[in-house]
Amino acid sequence: MAEKLALLPCNGLDKSAGAVSREVALSYAEKNGAELVCPVLLNTAPARYTKLAEEGEEFIVLDGCATRCASKLAAQNNLKIARRVVLTEEAKKAGVKLGETLRLDEASQNLCKKVLEMLEGEAKEEKQSSQAVGFEAPSKYQILTHGKFQFRVPEDGFYFNENDCWVQVAGTRARIGVTDYVQQSLSDIMFFDPPAVGAEVEQFGEVGSIESGKAVFEVVSPVSGKIVAVNTELDASPELINQNPYEKGWIAEIELADFAGDQDLLLDAAAYLPILKKKVEEFHV
Amino acid sequence: MSKDSKKVFVIPCSGIGKAYGLVGRQVALQVVHDRLPEETETMCLAYLVTGDAEANARIKGAACITLDGCAKLCAAKNVAMAGGKVIEEVRVVDAFKTHRGENPGTATKLTPEGWNVVNELTDQVVAVIRNELKGAVS
Repeated sequence: MAEKLALLPCNGLDKSAGAVSREVALSYAEKNGAELVCPVLLNTAPARYTKLAEEGEEFIVLDGCATRCASKLAAQNNLKIARRVVLTEEAKKAGVKLGETLRLDEASQNLCKKVLEMLEGEAKEEKQSSQAVGFEAPSKYQILTHGKFQFRVPEDGFYFNENDCWVQVAGTRARIGVTDYVQQSLSDIMFFDPPAVGAEVEQFGEVGSIESGKAVFEVVSPVSGKIVAVNTELDASPELINQNPYEKGWIAEIELADFAGDQDLLLDAAAYLPILKKKVEEFHV
Repeated sequence: MSKDSKKVFVIPCSGIGKAYGLVGRQVALQVVHDRLPEETETMCLAYLVTGDAEANARIKGAACITLDGCAKLCAAKNVAMAGGKVIEEVRVVDAFKTHRGENPGTATKLTPEGWNVVNELTDQVVAVIRNELKGAVS
């Protein structure tokens, strides 16, 4: 999850689970200084929230029930979803029986507390894990818009090759992955075939592949070195690449062999954007 | 026509993140749950804006009171667009004009001053509904 998060709860005026989703969002925002998005205002005046989306803000979407109004509104407005929570499912998991009232009774307050703790715990874990390896989440994105599609490119700290793979360097180690363009072109990614840990890889060598219903994409390494880690979370959840290819959807980590040499054939965001633009105009459907 | 369809809808805006929005929501809950539970009901505005067919069918032509926290008037506009008959459009912000300088509280907790306005607006809405129902009977 990105450091900057906004919360989009459901309207919460039909079922008690909806009222809880609203309360969770308000409490989280008050405690952690996150932005709140009003679901109906998002529909009535979407321009009010355009800046958030443009700044690459990610959203925690909180749905009360299976109707999932908040998720529908997020999809209609092309919001980047970092986490989706359905309160009726959380109530079931926690063994909490919600009442009929829209006012928060004891059971609702308990569920609210549990979900709040869960989200805060996840954010803390995410921050710790990102700090431990020294790979920071992108602070700002350049956005290329084509029709209803928006392609994000981290503005600083990332390099790209023309095969739409990125690399982020921390000391002698690098993290690699695929760009937003790849994940959007493939659509729902279903399989991840990782490279072998310990294998040596050349710049532009293959480092695993990802597959959707549309195609298989071979990940082309932007750097040379030795694979020291792969993102094992992708085994069970390859959709993390769709959710955020620059953070939770990273592919592998490489102990660098010659980054100074590799860098000659890499592009920064400013150089990659025109190439991306051309591809989007020519190939993207 | 079903018994339910004769009820007056009391529909607040989402009011997410604003104290005035919370005031509107609390007014709706007081009217619907405490003061006139047999004569009124509420409707989740998100159903209307996401195009839920059942919600839109229920609201069409029905008498509605909308409660909006801010000048965007999401509740009034969306209910009208869905075909609801808005018999009273309450703007919470206007109510506070007669309570100049008072602090309503926050988006999660109202102050006693905020609750005073909730109670005043609740009385106002209840009066409008009683009047509307009296007119419907006579």
